[in-house]
Amino acid sequence: MTEDTRALANGLQKHDPELLDRLIEQHQHRLYRYLLFLTGNAALAEDLFQETWIRVLERGSQYNGKSKFESWLFAIARNLVIDASRRKKMASLEEMGDPESAAPYDPPDETSTPVLQMLVSRENAKAVQLSLLKIPAYYREVLLLRFHEELGLEEIASVTATPISTVKSRLYRGLTALRTALAEGAA
Amino acid sequence: MTENLHKRAQELSAKALIEGLQPAEEAWLREHRAACAECAKEVAVLQEALGALRSVAVLVPRDLASRTQFRVRLRAQEISKAAGGSHVLWIITAASWLLGVFSAPLVWKLFAWAGGNFGVPKLAVEAGFVLWWTVPALVAVSVVLHRRVMTTGAKGI
Repeated sequence: MTEDTRALANGLQKHDPELLDRLIEQHQHRLYRYLLFLTGNAALAEDLFQETWIRVLERGSQYNGKSKFESWLFAIARNLVIDASRRKKMASLEEMGDPESAAPYDPPDETSTPVLQMLVSRENAKAVQLSLLKIPAYYREVLLLRFHEELGLEEIASVTATPISTVKSRLYRGLTALRTALAEGAA
Repeated sequence: MTENLHKRAQELSAKALIEGLQPAEEAWLREHRAACAECAKEVAVLQEALGALRSVAVLVPRDLASRTQFRVRLRAQEISKAAGGSHVLWIITAASWLLGVFSAPLVWKLFAWAGGNFGVPKLAVEAGFVLWWTVPALVAVSVVLHRRVMTTGAKGI
């Protein structure tokens, strides 16, 4: 454990609000982006963003510094997304079908897609629309974690609470889905 | 070029992005791409899309961070108050336990006297004594556990 990680773990255990302020500033873009891409809903992403940090404050003592803080943060956020999905009886990540069994893909909520498009900057809108919105959430999530957040396979496995083999499988299928989406977009 | 070769090239392109390639695989893929315009184009499109994915800029609502910081500070105050209350509770419990230890001989005599005078069975007297001794600690533990659940919520992360 590095000195910084140890200091971070100590600060979290003491519920240090100054530390939390800094962490919120530092990770706001990554966390909000992750939540937005996962939920496809700006209002829900905002709520979950706040809930995630409240949870970080409350569960700070559980962070032992062995994993990256980002991985732990994303895992908390992901669990809150799943909880929210279950509460609102929306199609959750798990309920959208087992990606490994090639279950039929439910397209994203139509009302949420324009919000996502509005929130990404104009020059990237087309690429985002092509590369993400046409892809099932469980693939979109691993693609985002791997190629945007640049997490390693083990870190993604830790965030998604799945074995590395599943992460790899989702990444391969996600890239295939992306390829298909690009081909359809170009047609 | 056969379909199998294209398929292998696709698989290796994905593997290169996800896990990395062995030198022999890398050499084969490079050679294939040099000879196959279709595969080279497909990889370029995919790389471009991933590049776009990396550079996606999502606009965070302007005051989201400050609103969150405010909520977190309020919650931190609540947690701090609750923790302070717990300390007081532990001190009271410890004091009560110490008092119990030192007063035990007297209380035992009191229970024995009451048992003798009112005809209470010995087992009931002993059980009453044990209860008198453990109830404060049990109450304190239940209060602490209840407060902990209220403070941190019932679920895991």
